[in-house]
Order: sequence, then C-alpha cells, then structure tokens
Amino acid sequence: MNDNARQAAAGLHPLEARLLRAYKPGDVFDAPRLAADLGFKTGQSNQAASWLLAKNLAAEKSRVQRVFYELTELGLEYAEKGSPEERILDLLRERGPLTLPEISSSLGLENKDVGSAFGALSKEGILSMGRDKRAVPASDGKPHSMVLTRRLLERARSGALAESDLSAEEREIVAGMSKKRGAASSPFRTLEREEVSYVLLPAAAEVREALVAAGISGDEIGELTQEMLATGSWKNAGFRRYNIFSPTSRIPMGRTNAYCDFLRSVKDKLVSLGFEEFDGPLVETEFWNSDALFMPQFHSARDIHDVYYLETPTHAREIEQPYLDQVAAAHENGWTTGSRGWEYSFDREFTRRLILRSQGTVLSAKQLPRAKVPGKYFGIVRCFRYDQVDATHLSDFYQTEGIVIGDGVNLKTHLGFLKMFAEEVAGATEVKYVPGYFPFTEPSVEVHIKHPVLGWFELGGSGIFRPEVTEPLGIHHPVLAWGIGIDRMALMNLGLNDLRELFSTNIESVRQRRRK
Amino acid sequence: MPKIEVHEERFFSLIGRRFTHPELEEILTAAKGELDEVDSQEGILKLELNDTNRPDLWSAAGLARQLKIYSGNGIPEYPFFSRPGEARDHGGRTLTVDPGLREIRPYICAFAVQGPPLDDLTLRDIIQSQEKLCWTYGRRRRAIAMGVYRSGLITYPVRYDAVDPDTTRFKPLDGDREMSLREIHREHPKGIEFGHITEGFPRFPFLRDAEGDVLSYPPVINSDRIGAVEVGDTELFIELTGTEIHPLLLAGSIVACDFADLGFTILPVKILYPYDTPYGREITTPFYFQKPQEVELRSAEKLLGEEFSPREALRCLARMGCSAEVREGRVRVAPPEYRNDFLHGVDIIEDLMIGRGMNSFTPVTPRDFTVGRLGDAELLSRRVLSLMVGLGFQEMIFNYLGSRRDFVERMRGAGGDIVRIANPMSENYEYLRNSILPSLMQAESVSGNAAYPHNIFEIGKIARPDPSENYGTATIDSLGFLSASTEAGFNGINSRIAALLSNLSVEYSLTESDDPRFIPGRAAEIRVRGKKAGVFGEVHPAVLENWNIQMPCTAAEIDLNLLPE
Repeated sequence: MNDNARQAAAGLHPLEARLLRAYKPGDVFDAPRLAADLGFKTGQSNQAASWLLAKNLAAEKSRVQRVFYELTELGLEYAEKGSPEERILDLLRERGPLTLPEISSSLGLENKDVGSAFGALSKEGILSMGRDKRAVPASDGKPHSMVLTRRLLERARSGALAESDLSAEEREIVAGMSKKRGAASSPFRTLEREEVSYVLLPAAAEVREALVAAGISGDEIGELTQEMLATGSWKNAGFRRYNIFSPTSRIPMGRTNAYCDFLRSVKDKLVSLGFEEFDGPLVETEFWNSDALFMPQFHSARDIHDVYYLETPTHAREIEQPYLDQVAAAHENGWTTGSRGWEYSFDREFTRRLILRSQGTVLSAKQLPRAKVPGKYFGIVRCFRYDQVDATHLSDFYQTEGIVIGDGVNLKTHLGFLKMFAEEVAGATEVKYVPGYFPFTEPSVEVHIKHPVLGWFELGGSGIFRPEVTEPLGIHHPVLAWGIGIDRMALMNLGLNDLRELFSTNIESVRQRRRK
Repeated sequence: MPKIEVHEERFFSLIGRRFTHPELEEILTAAKGELDEVDSQEGILKLELNDTNRPDLWSAAGLARQLKIYSGNGIPEYPFFSRPGEARDHGGRTLTVDPGLREIRPYICAFAVQGPPLDDLTLRDIIQSQEKLCWTYGRRRRAIAMGVYRSGLITYPVRYDAVDPDTTRFKPLDGDREMSLREIHREHPKGIEFGHITEGFPRFPFLRDAEGDVLSYPPVINSDRIGAVEVGDTELFIELTGTEIHPLLLAGSIVACDFADLGFTILPVKILYPYDTPYGREITTPFYFQKPQEVELRSAEKLLGEEFSPREALRCLARMGCSAEVREGRVRVAPPEYRNDFLHGVDIIEDLMIGRGMNSFTPVTPRDFTVGRLGDAELLSRRVLSLMVGLGFQEMIFNYLGSRRDFVERMRGAGGDIVRIANPMSENYEYLRNSILPSLMQAESVSGNAAYPHNIFEIGKIARPDPSENYGTATIDSLGFLSASTEAGFNGINSRIAALLSNLSVEYSLTESDDPRFIPGRAAEIRVRGKKAGVFGEVHPAVLENWNIQMPCTAAEIDLNLLPE
C-alpha cells in the first residue's frame, strides 16, 4: 500500500468511505442502489459520486434522461376530494339537475371552474343542459378516463410517477394534465431527471485497503452533539479527521477603533508618568482661550480668521473673579507680576465672547486655579481651527497638552520632561532642543526628535508659563506647559498619510485598519 | 508666523561670513528661525521666523544683524537715535502735525537716508520689510503704515494734515489721473484694500511738503512723483504713521537700523505735535523710548537650573545684542534700539538661555512624585467601550463640525437646538454637532459596500445650547450606536440597551418617545432618576431616505454624564 492511498483514505468524507467499503472495483451503483444499501439520501449519493469521480476512483457508466410526474398542490387536492368534473358528476347524481351557480356554491368552486368543467363533460357527452338551464347527467356510470385519472392521482400520492411505468393511455391522460413550469393550475408537474450510474475503478481497491487498515469505517463522529455527550456514545466511536486547511469565513466582530486605541495608549502612557487627566467644554470664552494665556487682544493669532465664533449665544454671562480683574490688569499694566503688561485697554466685553476652543492650552490655564503643588496634568483635547480641510489640516482635531507644577520645575527638569516624552511616548532615538516662541511661555523650547521611521521632526513645544499667566490665576510656582503633536505618529502607527482618514466614516476601512 | 525671502549672497555678506545650510539651520535657532526652503536657481533662501514679538528679525538686514552678533561680532552702535531729553541734530528737517489727526491717526515717525545708489536687491528688501512690519506687526496697516519717498524732491517742513477726502486730489502711484481720496477708495486697488481704515472719519490723513507737493495719502497710497522710488535713488525719505506710539516708534527704529546696516546714513527729522505725547510735543526720530528691564540673577538661576557669574550673564546677553550691567545681584538690560520685547524679567532669562546655548543645559530627570489618573469621563467611557465591543459593535470616531443639511435637515429637524458658527469657513463645517446620530447615519450612508450587518458606535462629545449654563451651552459626553441589517428591529435594540445598562448597574425606565427621527410607536426614551438620559428606536424610513440608506436601522444615543449615581 502506498502513501498516496493512505493519504487519500485519511482525507475521505464519511460518505465516500462507506461507499468504498461497501463495494469493490467493477461494481455499478446509482442513487436508488445507494439508498437501498447504505441509506443515502439522493443528495448524499450525488455528493459521494461526484467526489469519487473527482478523485478518479469511480467513473460514470450510464446516463439516462427520465420523465416523472409529480402532484402539485392542486393535484393533491384533486386526489383528496376528486377532480371538479368528478365532483360535479357525483353531485348531480345525488341531488338531481342543478344550475351552474348552484353547483358552484354547493361545491365551493369558482364559477369559471364549474363552467369549464361542464364544458369538458358536455363535450364528452357526459352531461347535457336540461330545462331551466339545469345540468343533467346524460348516462349512468363514470367514463373510463375519469376512473383512470382517479387511479393515477391516487398512485401519485405516494411518489412521482415514472413515465416508463405508465401505459400508453395513462401517459396520454397524465401528459394532458401536466405542465413543466408554472404548474399551479395543473394537477401534475412534469419533472425531467437524469439517472446516472457509476462504476468503481480499480484504483478504489488500494484506497479501500487503506481504509480498512486505518480502521476508518465512515461512521466516525463528525459534529459532536450534546446527545453524544449525554449518552456517552462518543466513547465507542472515533472522530473524523477534518481538513484544517479549509478556507475560513469572515466573522463580523466588535472591535475598538485603531485611532482611538492609539489615543488611549498615549493617555495610559501619560498616566503612567504620573499625569492626571483634565477635560473641559468644547465652547470656550476668549478669556480662557487667549486672555488668561496673556495673548494680547490685538494679537494677530486672535484674528477673526483664526477662531470660530458662536452665532448664538454670543457671550458668557460672567467670567469668574478675581481672575477676570487680575488677568485684565496683567494685560494693561502687568498687575503685581513685575511685568509692564501689553499697555492697552483690556476689553471686558470681548473677553466674554464665546468661541470654539482653539487650543488645548485653555485647559492647562483653567487647571491652574485648582491645581495641586506639585502636580502634573494632561489632556487630549478636541480643538477647532479656521482652516481649509485637506490632508494636513482638519477643522477639528486633537491636541495633547499638559502642565507640570512644582518648585522642582526649571529649564533642566523641563528638558528632562521633554526627553521623557520623546522617548516614552514617541519612541525617539535622539532628542534636540531649540528655542521656541509661544505667547504664554518664557523661556520657550521646541523639542525635535529623531524617530526610527519618520526621521527628524518637531514633536512639540513647551515652556515655562509667564508670570503674567500664572500669578493672576493664583499660582506662585513655576509651571511647565507642554504640547506634543501626536498626529504624525498616529498616521504612521495606522499606516495612513491623510489626517482626514483618522476620522473616517467608512465602516469597511475602519474595520480593516490595524495598528502597527 | 512671518516668512521672509532673502538673497543668499547678500544675506551672508551682511552677516560677514558664509554658512552651509546645516550650519545656517543651527544658528537660526538663536533667532527662533527655520530654513524653510532653498531656491538655488534664484539664490533665494526662504526663512520662517517664529517670534511674533521680534519684528526686527523679519528683514534680511535685521536677521543678519542678530546672527552676526550671536556669532561674536559685538553690539553694533546706532548713534543717530534721539532719546528723551537728548535730541539729535535734525538739520532743518521738520514735520508738522495737524491737530485734526489726534482722533484719526495721531503719530508719525520720519527720517531721511543717504547712501549708495539703490539697487534692485535693496529695493526688494525694503518693500519686504515694509510689508512684514505693516501687515503682521502693524495689523494690516491699521496700526502701522509706512511710506518711502524720493527725498531730493521734498521741501521741508513736511506737513502731516487731516484733509477733506472729497476736495483733496492728487495723482496716486499706479493711477492714470488725479483722483480725490474718496475716488481712490472706490477705484484704486490700494484704496479698495485699505480704504476701510480711514473710511469712518470726516477727514483723512495726508502728507505733502512745504510747496504743497503730495507725498502720500497714508495709510493707503503714495503719490506718483515724490512717492515713486526707483533703482538708482541715493536719497530717500521714510515715514511711518500709526495709532499707538510705542509700536510705531519701534517700527521706525527697526527700519532705521536696517538702512544703517545697509550702509546708509540716517538723517533725523523733528516732528512737531500740536498735542501732548508721552514724550512731549517735539520728538526727533528715530527715537529710543525703551525702558530698561531688570531681573535678579538668583531668579534666573532658579528658572534655568544653572549658575551664572555676572560676567557670564553679561557675555550671554551681549550675544543677544543686549547691553547690560549687574549690580547687587540684579541684571539690568537696556534693550537694543530695534527691540521692545522685555515685558518682564523672564524675557531677560530667555535671552540668557539662548545666549548661553541650549546645548549647555543638560536634561535632568524630574523628581516630584505625583499620582497619575484618568478622568472620570474617560474611565466611564472605557467601561462602556468594553461592553459595546462585547455586544459586537465597531468603534468609530467622527469630526464634530458639519453642515446644516447633515445635522438638521436630514434628521428631520429633530435633535433640538444646535450651536451655529458665526464665521464658518464653509457650509460643510458650520455647525457643532448636538447628537452623535447624524455622524452614525453618515457612516452608514457611505458604507453600503461593507459586509452586513453593521454595528457601529462612538463615545464622544456633543454640545447643545443651554441657557442655564454660564456659557449658554453644555458639552455632553455621549454614546451613540447604530445597527444596520435586515434584522434590525426594536426588540433587538431594546435588548442591547438592557444588556448595556444592566451591566453598568444603571436602573432605568422607558417611556414612549415621539422623536421624529424614529418610527412612531417604535421609539423609547430612557429615563434615569427622573431625567431623560437617552433615546432609541427604529430609525424612521424618511430619515433613511434622506441619507440614501436602503437597509433598516436601529439607533440609540445615551447621555453618559447622567448615568453614574
């Protein structure tokens, strides 16, 4: 016995195995024989035969086209109650002459069906129209055709009639009552079936031997059922080996969003570095968005073309005191911070103007009055910008911002923090610091990093809040403020190159997206 | 952030040495500048300057000055500056100011220059600095406007007058005829662009010389004769007008220093005001007005984490162009003529940092111990997230801005009040969403090709007008989810709501909802502790039709802030 046969035997379906073990090369089999010998259903026989053909273990021997007649719904009704012709004849014999409408109502038939049945019967001379338009039987007894029809309907109830089993007369009657398609109005439907027989080829002998040698009977357990477990029947049977290389089907599953996962991983990283998360409203005031950050009200970045204003409501009712007075004084003359301020008249109406938050630093400023010292805070914050939307600009997007408060904050620990972010959050291999500019920090530092994939780029900006920012908000310790740009890392992480894709509405592309 | 273009050869000759591009990138950091682009064909460098408080860096000469000083070439001297109580010789060049300007455009700064014949590069540099100064620092000429003229054609005293815009006429630069100032507003391109600055005043600013020859109509347009500067000119007159005196004087000082660095002699002009200014009624310009700034060396050391000897501090500040002295532990800086960005002692500290060099500061690992913690909303949203994923839903994340069509009309006008932007950039981003449902519908509408069933959700923010809030609006953490499938029906979503809320240990009740986004009789309101906390049901086919969706959908939205006890 060769390996091919052994492998072939192991890969057989139970139906094939049972067939091969039941017959020997040269034996002829067809569906009726398999049904009789092995209890195969027609579909199972066809499957087993086609598989064996494909494996060259069997060949087709003969193929015969055969015609069958099968009862339709209507035919079944005729078989139970009789055909309309038969029922009309029986009724008239029993009740005497009746008008056609009387016949219809007595038998519960449609007028037109009664009309056409009467027409057919009178044409054959079985009925005639008597006085008062009443139908009268013309003779005693039933015509031969009606008796034959009755017999055929009865026979067909237990299975389709094979044309080859019918006499010439029967064939003519059945053919007249049968249609191939759309047979709802006929009692019989004509079926054309091919009957194929097969012969087992000599190669089957080797596989059969292999089956016997491996002890495969084809009765091995396929699907393990609850019943088998309950009865323990599995103990006396083997398990069929499955093809573990068969193709898989796609399962629609619940999944997190890859971009959200990335944002959560950054949050988790920052929490692990000792930062507490802050959050705030999407709608802000000019006061917190810029004034509290010591950006003068005439600053070019505060132009109408940089911030979105609310149409209604337009203004907050009030700005919390004493912060309003203190911030206003810091702008006008430096307040008590030692600054000379911006030397202009602070607009207290404008400061209440409602806008969509344009920078995450807002929340850093708002955290100051309630911050613990030492304290570290962060937020991944949705911000809104007056920008044309394209691959590198969005109208709303996330900024990652935070602060560090404490006596230990100075330029060198500041750089230490940036180094920590660069390495821990961004996976930087090298870090470079250059002087930066932000209206609310002094000194300010930009951090550039060398990323293993992206190369050198600016990771973020940072600085020590100006005293004009911290002191009016009640903080008298140095505060390191930082913001890092994580979008480039997000795009790289998700294998994208268009910021708009981060907020994709396309379900299929979101489903396909993977983090690296 | 300002971007400037400089001619590479000219730029290096101004600095006094050449740099390779990597070297240039390195030293530019001392001016918070970046090399954006190199046009080697034209020999042009495109540079970006980040510090909006340093307008002196927005010209080839000014930037070159900073880099030259930083490279160790000492602090340049500009002896032509007058100071309070110490006016330089104005050589008979005077300028008188009309009392009517006090409420219109009260301040002016002027000087003449003499030098080598103007070449094309210098002219281009002058026009660029004029634009940068007046556009960004001068708020599009509103606060500062500048004019350059052919000095040889001018007879002193120059008169800065307030004139009637309808009867005053002259021939503007790039104009084909004499026009009244009013006509210039209507017809001349510069009038159309800048006319709004003076439009509201009964009289307009006007500059002419003693003979009545017109210099310009500031801040709009020069005249076509005295105001038509050309290559080859050797004598120029420069003036700047504005609304606030300090930014104006500073801008004048910057331009004067630039001309001086380009090899011109600066000739001061005396301005005669009929009203008081912080520096009296006579100011000879260019004028040094800056006040010294101080900081304790100790606070600088504390903030920078490094010790500075007085000598070291002076060396660092000198590299930034600052003359300074240290007395009793206090550093006192006299700002350079072209700078006025020392609002506070911390501004000196930053110059100490840059002057010493970023590389001289070693990063130190911070030691303060603090406890990290996620916010309550994030913690809750993570619990909800795991349950929604368990229910077989795909997490989505959407933009918050959208159109009226998507947020209101396609949702049959339901969903309540909505925040509209007063100055939208386009109607596609005009509204702030008040519900997650439109975002989910939009995703469904573009995803007919994705294998069904679709089960999607988002945990995100929405905002609604709310008169009870100080801001008149409330931001809400919201969960929205949607199922699209042939099987989607009320019982299915009702069961999911039950599974979700019971796993969150939320007790809730349902009432019938008449929300028109859902099919009547197949929508429910979720109530938690007596408040409406959400809504769900079978999405109304009219909504589906509005979104071109041909699959039955169920959807829900829950206010997460109302769930926790």
